[in-house]
Amino acid sequence: MVYTCIPLLHCLELGISKEEALEVLQIVRREASGEESQRSVGLPSVRKYTALELLEQEHAQGSIITFCSALDEILGGGVPIGKIVEICGAPGVGKTQLSIQLVVDTQIPECFGGLDGESVYIDTEGSFIVDRVMDVAHAAVQHCHLIAEAGQDEVQLEAAQAFSVSSILSRIYYFRCHDYVELLAQSHLLADFLAEHPKVRIVVIDSIAFPFRHNLEDLSLRTRLLNGLAQQLIGMANDHGVAVVLTNQMTTRFGPVQSTLVPALGESWGHAATIRLILRWEGKLR
Amino acid sequence: MVFLREGICPGATAQLIQSLKEQNVVTLVHLVSADIEDLAQKCSISYKMLVAVRRVLLAQFSPFPSNGAVLYEELLGSTAILSTGNQKLDSLLDSGLYTGELTEFVGASGCGKTQVCLSLAVNISCELKQKVLYIDSTGGLTASRLLQLIQNQVDSIEGQSEALQRIEVVSVFEVYRLLDALQDLRMSFIRQVTGARNSIKAVVIDSVSAVLSSILGGHQLEGMSLMMQLARELKTMARELGVAVVVTNCVVQDPGGGVKPALGRSWSYVPNIRVLLQHRTEGADPHSVKRTATILKSSRRVCGQCQLYGNQKAHRPTRVSAEFDITSCGTLSNQTASSQHSTRERSDT
Repeated sequence: MVYTCIPLLHCLELGISKEEALEVLQIVRREASGEESQRSVGLPSVRKYTALELLEQEHAQGSIITFCSALDEILGGGVPIGKIVEICGAPGVGKTQLSIQLVVDTQIPECFGGLDGESVYIDTEGSFIVDRVMDVAHAAVQHCHLIAEAGQDEVQLEAAQAFSVSSILSRIYYFRCHDYVELLAQSHLLADFLAEHPKVRIVVIDSIAFPFRHNLEDLSLRTRLLNGLAQQLIGMANDHGVAVVLTNQMTTRFGPVQSTLVPALGESWGHAATIRLILRWEGKLR
Repeated sequence: MVFLREGICPGATAQLIQSLKEQNVVTLVHLVSADIEDLAQKCSISYKMLVAVRRVLLAQFSPFPSNGAVLYEELLGSTAILSTGNQKLDSLLDSGLYTGELTEFVGASGCGKTQVCLSLAVNISCELKQKVLYIDSTGGLTASRLLQLIQNQVDSIEGQSEALQRIEVVSVFEVYRLLDALQDLRMSFIRQVTGARNSIKAVVIDSVSAVLSSILGGHQLEGMSLMMQLARELKTMARELGVAVVVTNCVVQDPGGGVKPALGRSWSYVPNIRVLLQHRTEGADPHSVKRTATILKSSRRVCGQCQLYGNQKAHRPTRVSAEFDITSCGTLSNQTASSQHSTRERSDT
């Protein structure tokens, strides 16, 4: 196993010098990476970037707009690629609607400011209603047509022609998971799926709280599984350049005077998401 | 663990080693703890020869004792103190981060650990002009935020890009990859030409609980051993390579009330300095956030002062803490704006 790190101190066990141990490690690494590239399932070795290179990379990758300017502003331009965004809220506030909107927005052609990517939607609650997706897609298509006609740009007109409701629906990959075991299995398989479909730019899991909140009594097991899942998701987001969007439910925390609504799945889950959006009602407004 | 083999010292012939092996004396420890007379008889080797070999091996492999003065001189020469860029944090940490030591920042989510780490890295890169290795395991690092912090410290574009190039970023999301990254760092130190100026002076790992918490607990035992292996790697790296290691950790609920750092008691012995970051909203205004940093553990300064309350014999220790602010410049003060401000003042008067 290449990943077991052999401390150099142990080279004294074999009775060889430090330099020889270094050489052996290098040969093992080279061979292992050579083998793996032959098998074409190679895991990339640890890559080091300077912050400057990272900045250039970030500028090159776009972000996914939400069609709501206030939201886009607080997100800094939209949902960023390579990070995890968690959307929390009470029931009915619009988490699933927002995720459906994002899934459609990813597919907007680049000339209109989108990413022209495909989408993966992992549904654990069964709240993905195709009719609603069609409505959202229809609105997005109309919006793009209007922009193209107003601007009269050749490229935009062509892209608007290609952008239709059926093309949008055909590029959403839908997975249905019924419990947490299926969800974990799906996340393992997702890495291979993303490698096969390099155009995917967003992965939505709606919702991540539901399978972990019932039928799982052992809380420490839940925390471990969630932490492992979070690390896997962020690793995947980083390696394949996708944005990951999760929806979470709310739970009540009992305080000394009053109780407050906080995102579910516990304190340690708070560390998993890079960005956390909490949607709530303020009178009639969201 | 030193295995005896041919040529390990003059006089250790193949025959000697072979006959020792037959008597189950395979490592140096066995040789030293065995009865030499008994061994000489059984192996039919001369007593003098065995004693000589043992003496040479002991001289070769035992550590040299040194006295405190020598150690102090060595430390003075090799330790550097890296300022955090924030005066209050510096005074809390006894003037900054020491190379050769492991400093840990713990706190709940959203209390500012990543911002503190980013500010540290930017300060070391801009002010102290040293290289930093930033190991990100949560995805909380965005280069645009780094740029924003650097722009508040350095005016010129070349200066900014130079500062960005001094920060090296590695993204790892798994403990084996993390160990790989540390091993790479060690190898690069060994390979570099001695006396090279551009070497890494600080390693920031944000966060260590993200990679470790999923493998600890339950019925699996490898998690604990991996955690300890990581701890040993970090501490020996800090000492041998002369770098300051900064890690972040999250908190869990303390059954006695309040919070305590995650990863358990075994990890609590690893860092030299432990700082707890907390944030509270003052009053009704959600925008006024009060942030405090409290020393939980320090090998160098007094962490808490016991106070006697009235007639009660009970001591209630109060911890040393400092307040700090996280603005658009992180925890650093805005250098470019403050210098502009001072010139404007001078031109007015």
